[in-house]
Amino acid sequence: MVFSFFRRGDTDGLEVAEGKLIQMLADDRHSFDVATSALLTGADTSIVGPDLRASDARVNKAERELRQALVVHASVHGTSRTASILVYMSVVKDVERIGDYAKNIYDVAAQGVDLSTAPDRDQLIQYRDRISSMISEASTIFTDDDRERAARFISEADALLDEFDGHVSELITAEEPGREAVPRALLFRYYKRIVAHLMNLLSAVVMPLDRLDYFDEDRVRP
Amino acid sequence: MIGLLYLFLVGVSSLEAGIKALGADFQVGLLERVDHPLAGLFAGVLATVLVQSSSVSTATIVGLVGAGTLSVDAAVPMIMGANIGTTVTSTLASMGHVRRGDEFRRAFAAATVHDIFNVMAVIVFLPIQLKTEFLSRSAEMIADLLGGSSVRGGKPNSPIKQMVKEPVAWAKHAFESITDSDQLIGFLLIAFGLVLIFGALAVITKNMRLLIAERIELAMNSLISRGGGLPGMAAGLVMTVAVQSSSITTSILVPMVGAGVLTLRNAFPVTLGANVGTTVTALLASLAVDLRAGLVVALTHTLFNFFGILAIYPVPAIRRIPIRLAEGLAERAAKNYLLVGAYTVGVFMLVPMIGILLFG
Repeated sequence: MVFSFFRRGDTDGLEVAEGKLIQMLADDRHSFDVATSALLTGADTSIVGPDLRASDARVNKAERELRQALVVHASVHGTSRTASILVYMSVVKDVERIGDYAKNIYDVAAQGVDLSTAPDRDQLIQYRDRISSMISEASTIFTDDDRERAARFISEADALLDEFDGHVSELITAEEPGREAVPRALLFRYYKRIVAHLMNLLSAVVMPLDRLDYFDEDRVRP
Repeated sequence: MIGLLYLFLVGVSSLEAGIKALGADFQVGLLERVDHPLAGLFAGVLATVLVQSSSVSTATIVGLVGAGTLSVDAAVPMIMGANIGTTVTSTLASMGHVRRGDEFRRAFAAATVHDIFNVMAVIVFLPIQLKTEFLSRSAEMIADLLGGSSVRGGKPNSPIKQMVKEPVAWAKHAFESITDSDQLIGFLLIAFGLVLIFGALAVITKNMRLLIAERIELAMNSLISRGGGLPGMAAGLVMTVAVQSSSITTSILVPMVGAGVLTLRNAFPVTLGANVGTTVTALLASLAVDLRAGLVVALTHTLFNFFGILAIYPVPAIRRIPIRLAEGLAERAAKNYLLVGAYTVGVFMLVPMIGILLFG
């Protein structure tokens, strides 16, 4: 500990926080990929389950360490870094929730639902692939603090939310039995929440602190 | 930084010169007021509370001893009092958490464990010092080893002392062009010295805190993950030497304990390390004074804190006493905020003032 005092390195608390956040997003993407593989490609849930739990444990640990780093940073630097600290405290919750929704998707598969041979499988997998790459893209945009790309991302994601809402509305009025409609409705709901949390994350790039998670049309129009 | 340290030493030297210029009558008068050890103790507490810095008050005490105004024996209780007085800063810092009960309870405990440790150390070592002069005689032995001559009457001619005397001579010459009164010149030199001491320390502290903030973060994160103990104590010492302020070290610990990311048990050794680290300022100040007695007082400060740790920390059952007392006090304070005010005003203002009136 004394020797750590004399060591150089990236020890700024905000850099540590950002590193943890990126790590969480990587684990979130992994969780999402394996969870959807159980539901959409027939992956064995007995194998996916432990993998997902390990990933979830990493996300939770990273979240605790991130918060701890922020408390230390605030204690050392005082009020000069308040805004950045509050941003990270807000967005870490969004990132952690992405992992939770991945677990929710797995839970559907664990209940015995298998959409690997469903007629709309290709569409669901297309959405899956798109969201998976969006998680990675959001991570890059946040790290680069790229306002233009963030605005474009939010705009495109907002359109995607409308698509998911549309699918859920169709299922509400569809004639398929519950065992067909409910898993799909749940999946679209979870897809929507994951995209919404990615939008919240990137709202930190384009919106002021007091308007995090809100989207000012003028600021997010690409 | 070296320039600021130089200004600090010039301030101490100016303080010393100002006190000498005031004349023997003033010096005797001052000495009479703090002649009783308890009066000295409480004067040390009150002076440190008022300036919010044990570095300033102990540097001033070293200056008084260096000028021959204060004896080592009279200064030691004042030094002990300065140890207690400096903890007011972290106690005040803990009050920022008062809106959230649990947070405040933890933060207040983190602040008051420092007070309680220092009071315990005084209860143990002040009687020992008065009876045996254990601390001051040990400090004399070390000073002799360092300087090679008797300390009570020694007037070494160190190069540092020679370097800081020049600006003081200029200041004195400037004040002599304004007035013929030796007393007024003395007060002006004292004021000039205190401004330099305050100003230099404030800028050193602020700059060093900014410069080493990342390293402090690294050390604190390491403390959280690996626990306290001796490494925590060493970290507290190194940090405090670097920023020249135990209050900064302890005021960083308070919000961390308040938030619950650092336990009181792990913060406690860092606080003890800070206690020792802050004595460096008095040691630096002793470089600028005439008499070797200044060095003895500074070393006494270091030894008092060192032996305080030796007496209280190694045995777990004794180590738990200040922690349990702090937790108990904080538990009650969190339920009754009047107790917080009573404790703060009582310990840091009322008791010292009454003590000075009674024993001074």
